[in-house]
Amino acid sequence: MDYLAQYLPILIFLFIAAGLSAAFVFLPMGVSRLTGAHNPDTEKLSEYECGFPAFEEPRSQFDVRFYLVAILFIIFDLEAAFLFPWAVSLDLTGWPGWITMMIFLGELIVGFAYAWKVGALEWE
Amino acid sequence: MTEFFQSLGLTYEAAWAFATLSGILLIALPLMLAVAMIIYVDRKVWAAINLRRGPNVVGPFGLLQSFADGLKVFLQETIIPSAANKGIFILAPIVTFTVALAAWAVIPFDAGVVLADINVGLLYILAISSLSVYGVVMSGWASNSKYPFFSAMRAAAQMISYEVSIGFILICVVLWAGSFNLTEIVNAQRGHGFGLVNGYVFNLLLFPMWVVFFISSLAETQRVPFDLTEAESELVAGYQTEYSSMSFALFWLGEYANILLMCSLNTLLFFGGWLPPLDVDLIPWFDIPGIVWFLLKTFFFFFMFSWVMATVPRYRYDQLMRLGWKVFLPLSLLFVVVISGWLMVTRYGA
Amino acid sequence: MIQTIAFYLFAVLVIASAVMVIMARNPVHSVLWLILAFFNAAGLMVLVGAEFIAMLLVVVYVGAVAVLFLFVVMMLDIDFAELRAGFVRNFPLGIAIALVLLAELVLGIGAYQAGNLDLGTPAGDAAPMLGESNIENLGALLYGKYLFLFETAGIILLVAMVGAIVLTHRPPKTQRGHQHIGKQNARRPEDATVMKQPEVGKGVEL
Repeated sequence: MDYLAQYLPILIFLFIAAGLSAAFVFLPMGVSRLTGAHNPDTEKLSEYECGFPAFEEPRSQFDVRFYLVAILFIIFDLEAAFLFPWAVSLDLTGWPGWITMMIFLGELIVGFAYAWKVGALEWE
Repeated sequence: MTEFFQSLGLTYEAAWAFATLSGILLIALPLMLAVAMIIYVDRKVWAAINLRRGPNVVGPFGLLQSFADGLKVFLQETIIPSAANKGIFILAPIVTFTVALAAWAVIPFDAGVVLADINVGLLYILAISSLSVYGVVMSGWASNSKYPFFSAMRAAAQMISYEVSIGFILICVVLWAGSFNLTEIVNAQRGHGFGLVNGYVFNLLLFPMWVVFFISSLAETQRVPFDLTEAESELVAGYQTEYSSMSFALFWLGEYANILLMCSLNTLLFFGGWLPPLDVDLIPWFDIPGIVWFLLKTFFFFFMFSWVMATVPRYRYDQLMRLGWKVFLPLSLLFVVVISGWLMVTRYGA
Repeated sequence: MIQTIAFYLFAVLVIASAVMVIMARNPVHSVLWLILAFFNAAGLMVLVGAEFIAMLLVVVYVGAVAVLFLFVVMMLDIDFAELRAGFVRNFPLGIAIALVLLAELVLGIGAYQAGNLDLGTPAGDAAPMLGESNIENLGALLYGKYLFLFETAGIILLVAMVGAIVLTHRPPKTQRGHQHIGKQNARRPEDATVMKQPEVGKGVEL
């Protein structure tokens, strides 16, 4: 299987990379215990807040525009996903394929123009 | 490389395993070395532009600075804040660095010098780089602290915004090359400009896309002028605020490995990869190995990254979002239409 | 052999992480397990030869959809204890839905086992190869034979986009601070500044 033989190195690479990064994280933890650098106290372990105790929950509700960006991203990502096979099969589909995609892009440009018009892309 | 190990008297399977393992180590270890050196280069270039000296104490010309920093960081205490979600807190730097390394599996350094020559190499890179947002979001959330959380949300929104236009730019390149395989994309660039110069950047329709791609790669790697995630005047050190020791360094290393990846993508997609700049055999530069050209070009782009960092002031968040959604997205979409139309008329036409 | 090992590795991990998605107490952990499940599903897709689908699974599901999920569970201030309190109350409803789904599954498999189901065109070796790789094949089919379905997908995406904007977009509360970048860039020094060389003791007329 020539095709899968190309993917096996990627899988091995992923395992080695993950192992390497895990070693980088856990080794210093062990080393600092051996050298005596590991010396935690309450102040050190509290979260960073410019020298005074934090007075509210850090995980607060966020602006709804962040969700909107994520949703718009999904839609454009899907659009790009449709463009990938189209880009390499133009020689097979010819003009009908091209025109189909232009209509598809036109539909999405309508949506994009609407988003622009109502100010969904505005940030203050 | 499999043939070499076979000639040592190993069976095919064993030879393949040895070849693959040594290939992986030949990518991962020099990459980490390159990252260490490139951090030094970054600081030197930056210092030179500011008329400073930069690191010059450790080793000759300060060359060993990064290694000294690495050793220092390695011996430090790892602090895990008591309020943090421990598991995810530890996992975040691991994810960041793994993802930064894994993308290099499909990068061709020279003709045929590639670990995994898959058909969908470019999509693999897009897929892996879309994962890098997780390291950021996980670290920001797990820290359970205000600044890292804000920074992570900013970073996530920024990265996904620019990924959209990067996707469309990749489609422009794929349209012209007719393949997702990175080796084939580079080969398609041979003699692209009048049969003289190698590289899609000399194509009038693709040149604007390269400009957009370069700026988007700055935004995607959160470099200046788009480094709002670690805008130190607002957010301390961004999503890395609560990290210490090697976990902190892994974010650094991952960031620079991603920057190098973006530089090499600029090289592969628009500047002809390992091909010499001119496709003319006047000067004997066809004798220079391709990997030298590849590394030189990648280094040139890294220099551009440092140059931008030293000279351009930071963007504001609304300007950043505007540039991504209202300028780059329509522009790259327009070029998909124009380039495919042009190719229909000239190449695939009825 | 390695294929078999890889298959069982991915398959076991998919199922295990899917179980963890519903078992995890923290919803953020659930989403992270879900991402692991998607990732291993992509591995399975590679094993059956659908490399393009595998990459799309990572790009779209892991890279986009799961990011939205993470945004939602991380940023919404949900009181999870309260949500869990509703578990007992909704338990009968949950069981009912599970039974319906199970019945559908049994019916579907039963119908498939009974035969006489002709779904789609011949697959496998009998299927005609249009292009060189499976991406080209997919493109040729999607933009040739199934182009009306494809356009429908476009309409659905349009509806999704407009719907998302209608539901989430709130007009800005203040009209302050909108920068007109075009206007700024179009402004030249000549329009904004004048050079005056006033004599000593005399004012400047502007």
